[in-house]
Amino acid sequence: MNKQSLQKSAGSGLVFGIIVIFLALIGFTVVFSGLIQKVLGQSLGVGQIPSISNFFIFLGFLGIWNGWRASRQDKHETLTLAKVLMRAAVAGLSAGVLVMLYGFVVGGLDARGTDMRKYLSMLSSDSIKFFLFNQSLVLGGLIHVGFSTLMALVGGLLAFGSERSQQQVRTNRTKIQKWSQSTWLGKVQGNPYVTYVLMGIVLLLLVLLPRTWGAYWNYVMGTVGIYVLLGLGLNIIVGLSGQLVLGYVAFFAIGAYTFALTTSPEPHNLVWNFWIALAVSVVAAALSGILIGLPILRLRGDYLAIVTLGFGEIIRILLKSDILKDFTMGPRGVRNIAGPTLFGRSFTSDVDFMYLIILAVLLSIFLAKRWQESSIGRAWLAISQDETVAQATGVDTQKYKLLALSLGAAFAGLGGALFASRNQFTGPEDHALMVSINVLVLVIVGGMGSIPGVVLGAFTLKGLPEILRELESYRLLVFGALLVVMMIIRPEGLWPARRPKLEVPVGQDNEPVPLPATAGGEK
Amino acid sequence: MKKSVLFFVFVVFAMVLASCGGAAPAGNTTSGDTTSGNTTSGDTTSGDTTSGDTASGEPEVCASDEFGCAVIPAGKTVKIGMGAPLTGDYASFGVDISQGAAIAVKDAGTVEGFAFELVAQDTQGAPEGGAAVANKLATDPTVVAIAGHIFSGSTEAAMPIYEKAGIPMMSPSATNPPLTTLGSKVFNRIAFTDAVQGQFAADYLYNKLGFRKIAVLHDGGAYGQGLADVVRQEFTALGGEVVGYEAVTPGETDYTATLSALAAKNPEAVYFGGYVAEGVVLTNNMKQSGLENAVFFGCDGTFGAEFVEKTGANGQGAYAASLIPPESEAKLKFDADYLAAYGVAAGTLSPYTWSGYDAAAVLMAKVKKVAVLGADGSLYIPRGVLVAAVRATNGFTSITGDVTCSEVGECNTAGPTFYVVDNGEWVQAEK
Amino acid sequence: MEALRKKIPLTLPQNTVKIIRIIAALLLLALVIVRAIDVAAESQFGADTWLRLSVSGLIIGGMYALIAIGYTLVYGILFMINFAHGEVMMIGTFGGYFVFEAFNAIQVTAADGSQMSFLNANPVIAVFLAFLAGMTIAALSGYFLEKIAYRPLRGAPRLVPLISAIGASIFLQNAGQLLFGPQRRQYINPVVLDRGIGWHVELAGSTVVLTYTGIFSLVLSAILMVGLYVLVQRTKLGRAMRAVAQDKKTAALMGINVDQIISRTFVISGALAGAAGVMWGIHNGLFNYFVGFLPGIKAFTAAVLGGIGNIPGAMLGGMFLGIVESLGPAVLGIDFQLKDVIAFSILILVLIFRPSGILGEALSEEKV
Repeated sequence: MNKQSLQKSAGSGLVFGIIVIFLALIGFTVVFSGLIQKVLGQSLGVGQIPSISNFFIFLGFLGIWNGWRASRQDKHETLTLAKVLMRAAVAGLSAGVLVMLYGFVVGGLDARGTDMRKYLSMLSSDSIKFFLFNQSLVLGGLIHVGFSTLMALVGGLLAFGSERSQQQVRTNRTKIQKWSQSTWLGKVQGNPYVTYVLMGIVLLLLVLLPRTWGAYWNYVMGTVGIYVLLGLGLNIIVGLSGQLVLGYVAFFAIGAYTFALTTSPEPHNLVWNFWIALAVSVVAAALSGILIGLPILRLRGDYLAIVTLGFGEIIRILLKSDILKDFTMGPRGVRNIAGPTLFGRSFTSDVDFMYLIILAVLLSIFLAKRWQESSIGRAWLAISQDETVAQATGVDTQKYKLLALSLGAAFAGLGGALFASRNQFTGPEDHALMVSINVLVLVIVGGMGSIPGVVLGAFTLKGLPEILRELESYRLLVFGALLVVMMIIRPEGLWPARRPKLEVPVGQDNEPVPLPATAGGEK
Repeated sequence: MKKSVLFFVFVVFAMVLASCGGAAPAGNTTSGDTTSGNTTSGDTTSGDTTSGDTASGEPEVCASDEFGCAVIPAGKTVKIGMGAPLTGDYASFGVDISQGAAIAVKDAGTVEGFAFELVAQDTQGAPEGGAAVANKLATDPTVVAIAGHIFSGSTEAAMPIYEKAGIPMMSPSATNPPLTTLGSKVFNRIAFTDAVQGQFAADYLYNKLGFRKIAVLHDGGAYGQGLADVVRQEFTALGGEVVGYEAVTPGETDYTATLSALAAKNPEAVYFGGYVAEGVVLTNNMKQSGLENAVFFGCDGTFGAEFVEKTGANGQGAYAASLIPPESEAKLKFDADYLAAYGVAAGTLSPYTWSGYDAAAVLMAKVKKVAVLGADGSLYIPRGVLVAAVRATNGFTSITGDVTCSEVGECNTAGPTFYVVDNGEWVQAEK
Repeated sequence: MEALRKKIPLTLPQNTVKIIRIIAALLLLALVIVRAIDVAAESQFGADTWLRLSVSGLIIGGMYALIAIGYTLVYGILFMINFAHGEVMMIGTFGGYFVFEAFNAIQVTAADGSQMSFLNANPVIAVFLAFLAGMTIAALSGYFLEKIAYRPLRGAPRLVPLISAIGASIFLQNAGQLLFGPQRRQYINPVVLDRGIGWHVELAGSTVVLTYTGIFSLVLSAILMVGLYVLVQRTKLGRAMRAVAQDKKTAALMGINVDQIISRTFVISGALAGAAGVMWGIHNGLFNYFVGFLPGIKAFTAAVLGGIGNIPGAMLGGMFLGIVESLGPAVLGIDFQLKDVIAFSILILVLIFRPSGILGEALSEEKV
């Protein structure tokens, strides 16, 4: 048993101890135990502390994970039972002791009647007692140590077991692969009719889902759809032509406000037709893309990023400023924005809007795909790979960069107009810097330059926080952590782009549009 | 290329068909589980009120109700929803108001043996979040009323959704005047409007305090700017002079530049429309910006324990408005409960926690009034009746005093009480 | 597709674009100057107001500069925008706050026999320890931030660490809110450093207060900046940092532990952000978990304005941004609400003429 590996185990255990302490400090232990209780089907009143057994489940998971991690230090070594148990025990013990020490400190302070909530807002007396399993200080601490060690041992054994079975799994996997290739699955993969069938399923889902899943999911998925539009636009700018733009919200705002101001009775009483206003918004956004682009396209990298960020902020501040109040309604925002009408009928229910957004998304995906695979797309690719070389080989970089910017902006304009129309309201706070950042995040999380990636990214970015709603005020914390983890696990994105093989004639787009299949699965 | 076009045309076609064919009922039968929200009377039994047993237990009032009944099965709770910013820059408002409402839920006890539950959902203070939360809450058949939303933008986005579902709202803090002029049946508020407050404030500044030259500041938000506009207009109408009108960027902690520019015009008082955070910074910065002789006059957004705590000696003589009347029994009890439950004094996180309590309290009192225990042991709450009952609130006495709703849903028409800081405490200013 | 491409009339010659750009910029500049002269002729503000505005700008500029250095250091080495840098500052602010709170709670007997808090009895020690605590904890969080969120991404495409940084920023902000509560807090300063008091300067018939806290922050940020400059230019660590910034591979071949140098860079930039955070607390008082966000964005702007990757550039950019924010609206005679509009417009103008910032060197291809 070498000393180094034990030290490593102890270190890993301490990290887990710190994690447990952190979770206790932010009150996550209580909330998550409550969530477990709800999942298990027991009711939990407001402000009630969940039962201790759920806390054990929560700690158990962490403890098993701790033991698992500590015992598998090196991929290449073969594990022996003694090694595993030793390491897991050390890790569990060190985590447990650390947690116990923390328990002594807060428990002791609490017993003396100190109210720590002035500084650490989640440390109520109840939550501390909960943390110590409603036992006395010493007993609670000892339970922590014992339980942590026990669970770590279980984790270690699991790791040991899985190590053994891994070989088995590997052979099984190849077997399955071989089998699937030789039988129908293999045939299906190359068959064009499969695409049609998939498309049909997708179509069916797209038509049926909005009618069945209720207003809330229509709203959430509508937001996702609008972010898909934004993502597609930014994907052209960042993913394809390689320009880092952090002020994408400027175009979104221009689209939304153009639409709002031309269709709302206040402040200008223009009340244009929905479709005309929609077209005008898209054009206005595209033009603004060119106007903003002209002076700054010489800039590269982060200089471009900060300048566009500046543009976004300038537009937001101007929208809410006092000097433009009569023109844009200032911070109050524009209300009573028109909904879509066709042949004198208005289509403003949530289902209609969902359909409208789906149509817009499909149209945009189609256009984006065409552009990406055309000579324009190749020019963008060249620019994003190496601008100087692209210029030297005769690509008019200025023109293509401007083109990317204005096309990307047009998508944002469309998204903005739909956004304003659906909410029947838009204000400056809808166009904050976080929108730009969110869209950039979704493009990169999905996989730069990849259209299915954008769709997947939009689901992750706008759908995930809604799914995480159960976590209440912890949802953004978890979301932030997931973002980091996602980047570490899949730095190339969830659905990375396959660079088009240039030898193959371009324009063979027999891939299914994968958007709604995930839409269904997400629920 | 052709394939995609074909596909696209197909989708369009199918959707238009689906949309046209079902457009009329689509509004009513969007989903199975919003039953009580928007089914027509005949549908009520077939929704998610699962067993025939339930149908038999249904009281008569449900059949005649415009929105049907909310059915709370035995063992479940009656949910009061709230849309509040629980994360982000304005989290302290949402957290605080929902904590105030949570105390009201604790105090409310039970209705026919059913407990209340507060469901606070995060809007991040934005209109978009408000609409998402409203859709979420309206889908839950056991949510019967909404104590919210908190900010006007988020409220405005949410109103049409609750309107459709027949869920009454009582906002503790959405003060934008036009909200009650939109013809909403469900929206009520316990806060007074910016128009009322601005008028009172301008009058107080001019007639009571005798100022003739003031500067007006706001935080660039809908609330602050609306208020500042009213004050500027009213003060000028009274014959006073507004020598400076500026906005600060919320969230910053140094406004000396803006204040120095105002100081050059020698105002006698600085009126500020906005929230505590910026109010505190402004008050603290006034001395070093050459405004040491001007009086800081805030609004209901700058009232509360936090202001005096964080301004210290600088706050001496500063004014604020509030809808909370001076110390009442109910307020003292609430303050004690709040401190015990959350470890901070009421009013430290935001000035609206008392309104949060009241909004929830009014709603729950009305729920108690209209709820009917069905023969099957479920609780039936006729939504349309509840909406009307909330609007008809008359003489409900609580922390904020007498709550009586006007026909458009203004439930606090008494106007503000002005307070002034004296030796680190808010005391009622001369009337 | 070919048809579509032909339809788009964007084939302006390069030179025309350049000329249009320069003419537009010159016109704008002329407009600004004319407007400024106009406003000056009106003489709305006296000398006292100008002094107040300048001092306020310098103080805030100093803090921007300190934070901007953190961005620039990291950028210089890793070519990534450390989006979570503002949150590191927030952590530093909390660190200093707790030290002050603790010292305020400890009662000691002063020399003259009266009871007072340790904070007022030994203000120098208290302030020193507050900075030490704030800088240490911020440096530590910088270190762990790099280790957890960025190191696994070494070698990934350029934007990936940026997203990871955004995730870390969201995480840290919310962790701050959940740990310490959503309420705003206020620094308890020692009496000698009370906010709002300071030296009085008589000017144009009015008294201008130069606050102690403001001057203290300004001086301290100047000292820290000089210190950092010396560290980077004169010490072995600084040399190693510069080498790594130049070329990681070669630096590694020269026997420099690249990972270690990167870690240390994060520690240094974290410590500076922590110092800025404590200063922020001492000078402005009010803060909460969100305190780092706005200064973070501004400082990033400042770093780019000065030429990102360039340390004197970050200092200059920070100072410049602070002054523009506070003097700009007054000079142009417009609403102070639009100060950020002015600041960003100047940024854009500067970058149009100097595409790599005021002091930035011509951008090499790898940095794009």
